[in-house]
Amino acid sequence: MSASNRSLAMPRFVSSLEFRMLGLAVALAIVLALISPHFFTERNLFNILDQSVVLGIVAVGMTLVILTGGIDLSVGSVAGFCGIVLAIFLKEALPIPVAIVLAVGCGALIGLLSGVLIAVFGLAPFVVTLGVMAIARSLAYIVSGQRSISGLPMGLQDIVYTTVAGIPVNVIFLLALYLATWFWLSYTKGGRTIYAVGSNIEAARAAGLNTLYYSIFPYVASGALAAVAMTFSLAQIMSADPIGGNQLELDAIAAVVIGGASLYGGRGSIIGTLMGVLIMVMIRNGLNLLGVSPFWQGTAIGAIIIIALLAERLITWRSRRI
Amino acid sequence: MTAENGKTREALLVARDVTRVFGGAYALSDASITLYRNEICGLLGANGAGKSTLSRIICGHLPPSSGELLFRGAPLAVGSAREALRSGIALVAQETNLAPDMSVLENIFLPSYGRPGRLSFGKLRREAQAILGELGHEHVLPLDMEVRRLSAAQRQLVEIAKALALNADLVIFDEPTASLSPTEVERLFEIMARLRDGGKALAFVSHRLEEVFAITDRVTILREGRTVAEDVPTAGLTQTDIIRHMVGRDIGNVYRRPPPAAGADDRPVVLEVTGLSAPPRVRDVSFSVRKGEILGLGGLVGAGRSESAEAIFGLRHRAGGRIAMGGREISPRSPIAAIGAGIGMVAEDRRRQNIIPDMTVGENLFLAQMGRHRGFGRGFAPRRKEAAALIERLGLPADRMDASLLHFSGGMQQKVIIARWLLIEPAVMILDEPTKGVDIGTRQAIYELLREVAERGIAVVVISSDFEELLGLCERIVVMSDGYTIADLPAARLTEESLTLLAAPRSSAERNARLLRELVAAHGGTAFWGLIDGDQLVCLTVAEGDGDASMGLSAGHVHAASDTRIPTALARRAPGLVTEADGRTTLLTRLSNRRGHDLGWIGLSLPPGRTIPDPEALAARMTTMFEQHQSEEIDA
Repeated sequence: MSASNRSLAMPRFVSSLEFRMLGLAVALAIVLALISPHFFTERNLFNILDQSVVLGIVAVGMTLVILTGGIDLSVGSVAGFCGIVLAIFLKEALPIPVAIVLAVGCGALIGLLSGVLIAVFGLAPFVVTLGVMAIARSLAYIVSGQRSISGLPMGLQDIVYTTVAGIPVNVIFLLALYLATWFWLSYTKGGRTIYAVGSNIEAARAAGLNTLYYSIFPYVASGALAAVAMTFSLAQIMSADPIGGNQLELDAIAAVVIGGASLYGGRGSIIGTLMGVLIMVMIRNGLNLLGVSPFWQGTAIGAIIIIALLAERLITWRSRRI
Repeated sequence: MTAENGKTREALLVARDVTRVFGGAYALSDASITLYRNEICGLLGANGAGKSTLSRIICGHLPPSSGELLFRGAPLAVGSAREALRSGIALVAQETNLAPDMSVLENIFLPSYGRPGRLSFGKLRREAQAILGELGHEHVLPLDMEVRRLSAAQRQLVEIAKALALNADLVIFDEPTASLSPTEVERLFEIMARLRDGGKALAFVSHRLEEVFAITDRVTILREGRTVAEDVPTAGLTQTDIIRHMVGRDIGNVYRRPPPAAGADDRPVVLEVTGLSAPPRVRDVSFSVRKGEILGLGGLVGAGRSESAEAIFGLRHRAGGRIAMGGREISPRSPIAAIGAGIGMVAEDRRRQNIIPDMTVGENLFLAQMGRHRGFGRGFAPRRKEAAALIERLGLPADRMDASLLHFSGGMQQKVIIARWLLIEPAVMILDEPTKGVDIGTRQAIYELLREVAERGIAVVVISSDFEELLGLCERIVVMSDGYTIADLPAARLTEESLTLLAAPRSSAERNARLLRELVAAHGGTAFWGLIDGDQLVCLTVAEGDGDASMGLSAGHVHAASDTRIPTALARRAPGLVTEADGRTTLLTRLSNRRGHDLGWIGLSLPPGRTIPDPEALAARMTTMFEQHQSEEIDA
């Protein structure tokens, strides 16, 4: 009864969490524009979009994993490792597309390993991906010889600096990825099975859904997307560092959680994640523009995440009570 | 009862004009109830009437939106479960509130963890054993087992033990019998009566009206959140009165057993299970179900019925046995394979095994269809028309397909889950306790639905601990005990009493069979164990000696006394040897367990010409052998 009353009062989207987070993102942008004259410059906006691409791509994989009730702590390290792999292949003069496909395949393979350990052997996602995180980072150092690799072929820059109708292709790729993921999660068997797995895997299995496949798949996607994100990052800075992607997993998890997903699985949306990514990137960007010391940025970001979630919880509590 | 004896009734808890609003909807509006010492009050109402909400408010699990609660004459701090526990109010919850990773022992004494002071586990263990002993489950519920490994019924027993351990003055039993067998219910009622006579106030929430009549002194009835009858003596009520109060109208006979269709046995067998084993619960299960038939799978909780269903459905590893669908052998290792072979299953625990809580009614409805769909999309579109027809047939609100399934009553949820399977048109549908926690109005609708499903040619297997339901709904009943199928009988030849006897706890069927074989090996002839009910012999186990002609008895079958070779013996049922007209000699000995529970008869029948043993010595041997087996079992 309550649901129908509310949906009569205003369209469902307005009352949704994604909408509130969109509101928060817009408010944040306005505040930043008011206090910093540099915020609304074309250069800075492109900067924000560039940063959103890397985090945004990783957050898509993280959303799938979290929707199944899991977590992937390894994305940052996997991204770093795959970046090194990509750089080495490029230095070996492999064609750029081939090198990219190999690096992405490498990320997918690592994800497959985690997924199998979690879904088939029933190990805790937190522990498995924690282990993989340590392994991938260590391998990144070993394979790179503890040095950053620069002097990548100039052609790699094309995936960032080409524009279509004035929009950089990496931004187009990001939006297309979100659109495709939104469609997949909402309207396909696979996407709905991901939700069902996170919500109640036992019931999903008993209803004849392929819970094993769709418990593993998110980790594969997460690993592959970490490599894709790193490819864009490499194209921006034109060098691969073994520490690359450090703590990316924390930003990605924060973005997904700000976007309203439940860490218990089954609840969340990809649109919410996109909002979460924008909010995260804008906060970092704004703090940089304001000249806040990098050492204080962690405190600021942490506090903003917690306050956003607390506000959200208070809102849902109130709407549940009345 | 006490009031009628002229004693003054002492009100322990008074709840006046309690209102509770959930997101704009009234779960309770001005409901009232008074609970007196030395009385058991039935709290009745259809699903969604607010019984559970009222119980939870009294126990402090929920704060009321408005209203007054007095306990021992003083206002009760509302909304604090801890405060309620401290004042002496305990709840046996319907959806069990147990910590799944903790042991049975720890769960029973969980409330003590909230009290200051040191815990003595040795003392708790002894107390727990005493409580479980009272419940008759000291051997069935190992104290150190984790609760997550228990079945729904065992969890319910832990929940009851937990409330008893509190020694509270007021205990609310919220559908405690939903997953208990008749014997267990009887035991619970004994305990409840003892608590009442010890000066406690009890509230009993149940959908089973016969139980309400059996145990309550008075009833309070809720309808749509309001009290429509308060504190009415049970003795003056009829079943019809109660139902009229509950639903606001009259309901006809709930059960309409279909007349046995002519040539019913000509229908093809759809599912045939032979020698199924899935240790530890399922040892040797065989049954078959025909097209369009409703088969009941009866027995006690823990007999292995749910586990058998899960093994057939690919949810549980099978150690042996054969499953055939339409004559073709299948070996499903996952529900996907079982569904592919044409099996659908509504599992016992609705919330845990059937519902996807974060999905809408529509998506829950289409879930099995989506799983079966081969393709990229969700596969809803090709079945939309069937779904719309089903929704209308089931009286589901078509405009609320996008609401969360959790907002609906238990009965409505169950209809959606059943519809989920109907949508993919299985050849066999297995339903495990389909009416658990469902009110009488919806129950009737579910029975109607199942009959309709059967008429459409789907074979239906219903697992139920409610024997009245089994007898009313099913054409044929297969009884399970200790993991063995021990009887396969037409429902028309069974009564609730004989079904209870068949399913009654006894030493395992395997040992009894061995005992009979020993008898036959020593004396020859035919040894059998069975129940004698009027002029029928319900045969449970048979052993036949080599070289002697078969008597034609078979285990799990009902034989009319006149059709057997020993009509005189069955009619006399007296100690000593009975010789039939054709010279056959039979000795019958009555068996009972230590609690004096009837366990039927053991018989040895010798063809003419055999050496006749001393009857008294033989009878003594039969009973001692049986007792020996029994004590072995208990020590095990």
